[in-house]
Order: sequence, then C-alpha cells, then structure tokens
Amino acid sequence: MTHHPEPQAPLTKATVAVDGSEHGISKKGLSAGSVGLIGAIVIGISCIAPAYTLTAALGPTVSEVGVQVPAIILVGFIPMLLVAFGYRELNKRMPDSGTSFTWATRAFGPWIGWLAGWGLVAATILVLSNLAGIAVDFLFLLISQIAGNPEIADLATNPFINVAVCLLFVLGATWVSYRDMQTTQKLQYWLVGFQVVVLVLFAVAALVEVANGNAFDATAIELSWFNPFAVESFSSFAAGLSLSIFIFWGWDVTLTMNEETKGSEKTPGRAATITVVTIVVLYLLIAVALIAYAGVGTGEFGLGNPEIQDNVFFHLAGPILGPLAVLVSLAVLTSSASSLQSTFVSPARTLLAMGHYGALPDKFAKVSPRFFTPGYATIVSAVVASAFYAVMRFLSEDVLWDTITALGMMICFYYGITAFACVWFFRRIWWRSVRNFFFTLLFPLVGGVILGVLFFTTLIDSMNPDYGSGSNILGVGLVFVLGMVVLLSGVAIMLWQAWRRPAFFRGETLSRAAADD
Amino acid sequence: MIDVTDASARRIVVGYTANDAGADALALATRFARAGEALLDVVMVLPSEAHNSTVPTDTGYERYIKEQSREWLAEASESLDDDDDIDVAQLLHIRYAESFAEGLIAAAHEFGAALIVVGAARGGLLGRSRIGSVANELLHSSDVPVALAPVGSRDVPVAQGVTRVTAAIGTRAGADALLEASVRFAIATHAPLRLVSLVAIDLPAGIDEGLVALTSTVHADEVLLAARRELPDYLDATSTSATGASVEEAVRGLDWHDGEVVLVGSSRLAAPRHLFLGSTAAKMLRELPVPMIVVPRTTSH
Repeated sequence: MTHHPEPQAPLTKATVAVDGSEHGISKKGLSAGSVGLIGAIVIGISCIAPAYTLTAALGPTVSEVGVQVPAIILVGFIPMLLVAFGYRELNKRMPDSGTSFTWATRAFGPWIGWLAGWGLVAATILVLSNLAGIAVDFLFLLISQIAGNPEIADLATNPFINVAVCLLFVLGATWVSYRDMQTTQKLQYWLVGFQVVVLVLFAVAALVEVANGNAFDATAIELSWFNPFAVESFSSFAAGLSLSIFIFWGWDVTLTMNEETKGSEKTPGRAATITVVTIVVLYLLIAVALIAYAGVGTGEFGLGNPEIQDNVFFHLAGPILGPLAVLVSLAVLTSSASSLQSTFVSPARTLLAMGHYGALPDKFAKVSPRFFTPGYATIVSAVVASAFYAVMRFLSEDVLWDTITALGMMICFYYGITAFACVWFFRRIWWRSVRNFFFTLLFPLVGGVILGVLFFTTLIDSMNPDYGSGSNILGVGLVFVLGMVVLLSGVAIMLWQAWRRPAFFRGETLSRAAADD
Repeated sequence: MIDVTDASARRIVVGYTANDAGADALALATRFARAGEALLDVVMVLPSEAHNSTVPTDTGYERYIKEQSREWLAEASESLDDDDDIDVAQLLHIRYAESFAEGLIAAAHEFGAALIVVGAARGGLLGRSRIGSVANELLHSSDVPVALAPVGSRDVPVAQGVTRVTAAIGTRAGADALLEASVRFAIATHAPLRLVSLVAIDLPAGIDEGLVALTSTVHADEVLLAARRELPDYLDATSTSATGASVEEAVRGLDWHDGEVVLVGSSRLAAPRHLFLGSTAAKMLRELPVPMIVVPRTTSH
C-alpha cells in the first residue's frame, strides 16, 4: 500500500474538483473514446441495415416505378446527401441529443421545433414496429427452413401469433437498449460482413439463374432502368423517391460521427463515402438481379405481385437459393436485430431532450443511473411502437407495406424541417465564405425543397384509396390516414403540453438563435 | 512481525452510481474514511464509446450524460457536506471505461488507493447481500481490496465508525496478505482486531463427528495462534474459532457488532494478485450482516 502525502486538492468542493483541470477530470475523463474508420463504416452499414431495408422497400418501390428502381435508388440519394450536409453543420455547431427538435426550435421557435421532434419520434417508432414485423416473418421462415416444414412459415400470418412474437422482439430490444448491452466490435464486424456477403451471394445466384434460363420471369437488363425520366408519372416518381429516402435513412450518422472518429480529419468523410458506396452498389446489384430474375409482373414470384411485395426476400430466397435460403433469413434477422438497437436510441434521445427542455414531462429526461441510457424514454418508445404495430396488424393485411410508405413521408417531414432549420439558423453567415454558401445555404435548401415537395405530393396522392397497398378506411387511402393521424395527434399533444408546460412554448427554456460567426 | 508504518494516509475509491447501491457504497466508504482519516475519491464511471459497435456516437448525448453525472456527484457531495459531523475529505471524478469495474480499478491505480468500495447492487433476502454483476466483475479482476457495502449501509450513521475488524483466516496459504491487510485496516481505523477461523464440519453420517470436530478445532487453534504471533504488540487483538455444520452455520454462530467489518482472502483459484471470491467467502457473504472486504491473495505494493 502506497504512502500518500497530504492531497493538495480543494477538498469537499464538489464542483471545483469535477470541473478543475488538475484534480478533477483527467485526460481520460475528457474524451469518451473514439470509433475508428472501420468501426464507423460498420456502425453506418448496421444502422442502414441493407438486408432489412431492401426486403421491406423493394416491393413498394417496384409497385411505384416498375423497372426504374435502380434509377430511383440513385436519385434518392441526392436529397439525402444534401440534407445530411446541413445536418452535419448543425451538429457541429449545436451538438445536442435532441438533434432535429433542438435545431428546429433554435431556428424557428418552439412550435415548429416541437413538431420536428414529433416527426422524428413518429418516424423512428414507425420503423421500429416495421423492423420487428419483418424480424417476426423471418424468424418463422428460418425455423421452417431448419425444420424443413413450410407450414411453420405460414404461422407468421396469424395475427395473434404474429403480434405476440413481435411484442417479444420489442421487449428483447428494449431490454438490450435499456441496459446498453453492446455486442463486441468483433461480433458486429462479422454480422455486418455476413450481411453483405449474403446479399451479394443472393444477387449473384439470381443472375446465374437468369443466365441458366431458370429464372421465374427473365427480364432483359436495360440501360433505361437507370433513367429516372423513364418513370411514368411525377406521382410515381415522388412516391418512389420518398421510399428511397427511407433506404438511405441512417446513413447520415456516419457523416456526423465527426469529433469521435479517430485519425485524421478526413476519417468521417471517408467513412461516410465508403459506407454509401458500399450501400449503393449493394442496392443496385440486388435490385437489378431480382428484377432480372422475377420481373415486375404480378405472377407468383413477380415483384409486382402485391402478395409478396411487403417482404420480397421472404418469398424469393427459396426459389433462388434453394437450401441456402436459410442464409438470407439469418442475414435479415441479424440485420433487423442490430438495427433495432440503434433505431431505439434515436427516439429515446430526442424524447430525452424534449423532456430536458420542458417540451414534455420531466420523466422523459431521466437517465438510468446504472446504464446511462434514457430509461423512461426508451420504455415509452417501446410501448408506443408495440401498440402501434398491434393495432396496425389487425387493421391492415399489408401493414408492413403501408408503414414503410407512411414512414417515407414522416422522414421527408422532419428531415425537411431540419434542412430549413439549417438554412435559417446560419442566415447571417451564408455569404462569409464559399463553403458556407454551399453547405449552409444551397445544399440544405435544395435538399429541403425536394423533401418538402415529396412530402406534399405523397400526402395528396395517398388520399386515393388505391394508393400503396390499396388498404383504405372509408375510401381514403390508409397511408394518408396514417400520416394524418400521426401528425394531428402530434399537434394535439403539443397543444396539451403547451397548456401544461408553457415555459418551453414561451421560449424560456430553449431560445431562438442564429449563428453569428 | 507485521510492520505497519504507512497506514496513516490513504485513499479510498468509491464506485458511485446515483442509486441505492451507490448511496450504500458512499455511506460505507465515508464511514471508513472518517474512522481512518482517509481521503475519499468518489468516482463515476461512464461507458466509453470506444468499444461501441452498434449505436452511433452522439456528442450531444455524451455531453448530456456528463452534465447529469456531474450533477449527481455534486448532489452526493453536498449531502455529505451538509452533515457537520462528517469531516471527510473528498474528491469527485468522472472516468470513462469499458466497464464499471475496469474504470474503478484504473482509478484505484491512478490514485494509489488502498480500497475500492461498491454497493452490493441488489438486495438479497433479509438485508443480507447478494453479489450484483458489478461487484462480481470487480471481484474477478481487481488487484486492490474490494469492500462490498451491504444493502442498507446508507442508513447506518457515519459516526458509527468501525467498531471491530474481523479477519476470517482460512487454514491454508493465502492468509498472509489477508492478515497484513486486516492489521493495517484495524490500526488505521483504531479498531480492535478479531481473528476468526471458520470450521465447517460437513461430513457423511457414520464418521466420528466428535473426533473430526476436535481435530479441526485443534488445527484452527494452531493457525490462529500462529497468526497472533505475527501481530504487532500494540494491537488489541482477540481470536476465536467458529464451528458449525456448514460455513453458513459457523458464521451465524459468531457475534457481530453493528460497526464491524469482515476481511476475507480471495480464492486460491484466483490469478496471483487478483481477486476471486472463493466458495467459502461467497457463503459467508450470504450470511454476513456486516460489510465485507475481499483482499487479493497477494496485495500489490
């Protein structure tokens, strides 16, 4: 035991010790550590969860734009990138766990800020329920593949079994998120690697089947698939685009993991670039391969068949890969599972910030003293996502499909507001430099306008009962009803909170501001 | 003879969390520190993002957590300051590590601390301790003695101090470090030392229990005698052996002061200089109504 002379620190003065440089937080305390280049790419890919995203979005996208899916994937990336630039600027200037909520409040005041936060929370809760829904399908498929009994896969269509298993999934994910249980980096690398390899295998196998003449509906690959102007109508184009916003959603995190990424300043940019190139190549490869194999017709395995559209891998893996189809099930399952955790984090953190600034009850700002996670907010998100899924599952056969479309709309809504918040917040320094002009004005403005147009086009078109999966309530498209219910309930809760907690809405807790330098 | 000259100035690391377990740990450590004029290093360990593999890092959230932790630490510190009777020097720290245990061990090394105090995390039956996951990890990896604050330590008045130090001496190798640590602790806290040898007689029927008991007790007495010879003369020390059909029963048979502390050695299975709770110690922990300190087989210098 070492002898220690009189400690020379300011004793018992709590804050002095914590804030002081010498005896408070040492060098170790200053940084929370960092994630390397490969780590950032792995997190990026795992957040986007390509296997899950494609199986959920490919069908609905084909139903909108037919063979032009590759074109839509390429074009869909543009608004995403433009908005992500604005997101990065805001995150650099005002890092805050409330992201869109905090930034929009800063730029436009409490009312718009509140709605932006609501949009983010609603979108992530929609995707949580969809993720869990896809995971349920693939769990049963996996079991049936292993047991060699196709009837087991059909169990997933029984709404009671489906909802029960889905709730178990959400419960598990909540547990993991609440306790901040992380898989080891090595395992995560393997999971992501596995996901990518299986997707490539799936695509190549489909192309080989086409070449061998065994394809279900062999469709010759044409250059026009990559031409966005070949899409029939602007409505279809907009709908497809808002779906493709969804498939890139999550990518922006790699761009904003700036300060934490170790190595040179170029690392975050490089991580984001490598991530997005990998993702785009994967998406194009699979989209082209599956269209070439199955066509866009409405036959048994055609991508235009509404029966299979909300979960295409589920139906196509068997015919294409035969016994190896079990790999696809595993890839989608692991992809949804790890994405569930990262997805849980974002509504929870936004709710936490809303609680912190008094836009929601205090309880939301509670951090678990043991796990340092936003405990209360996490549980609320889980409960709402479960309830939403359960109701939707009984309301609509094509719940997965409709939530994806509604989700694209919600993403456009809050991303759009975020983009405009960036433009407005930096208004005084647009002209300071060329860089400012592009990153704080032009890029986010164009991105925001595109998302705004997509939002309103989708909203108006979705009133048509034939929109999306064709589910409707009293002759109004389900997607529209969904979107309106989500937005209007947001407005209702906001008014209620404004009555209960006027301080935030008077701008006392989070004031409007603009960047000056 | 154990020579103790440097036990006067020491530091105690408290693994603090803003919940009951943290309050227990802080209260117990404060009691120790007050009794032994030690300096308290109150440490909060936040999860390091470096090991992060699934969840995107978020500067804003990290900042929020850090602010929140500061607030918690300041509140904990104020609650100590409010009480005029408690004159304990303390420093507050925030550390990042992959796990709570790892962060505490690193902090203990950094400060040259002689002891790490953590809460037992979950309450067992009847206020007795059950080891929580944090304490468990710590017990498997620390090379610094670890004190487990039983549930309810936060309700024990700090002025209680340490009324007696009990060293549970085994009958085999590994006792030297324990003996030394116990002596230091007793001297530092100005408490009398009691050496205890636990004799568990758990034999199948048919064997002459009386004879076995006698041999075991004789052996225990020899060990105690040998241990006592090692003690400094000025230390107020007693020794006793406890007998029972099981370790639990032997522990129950002993008398315990309210302000007592028990020291046990780590398992012989543990890597040298690392803790590992042996089965006997684990059984004791379940029965003990008082805090327990686990001492590594060979203490670090």
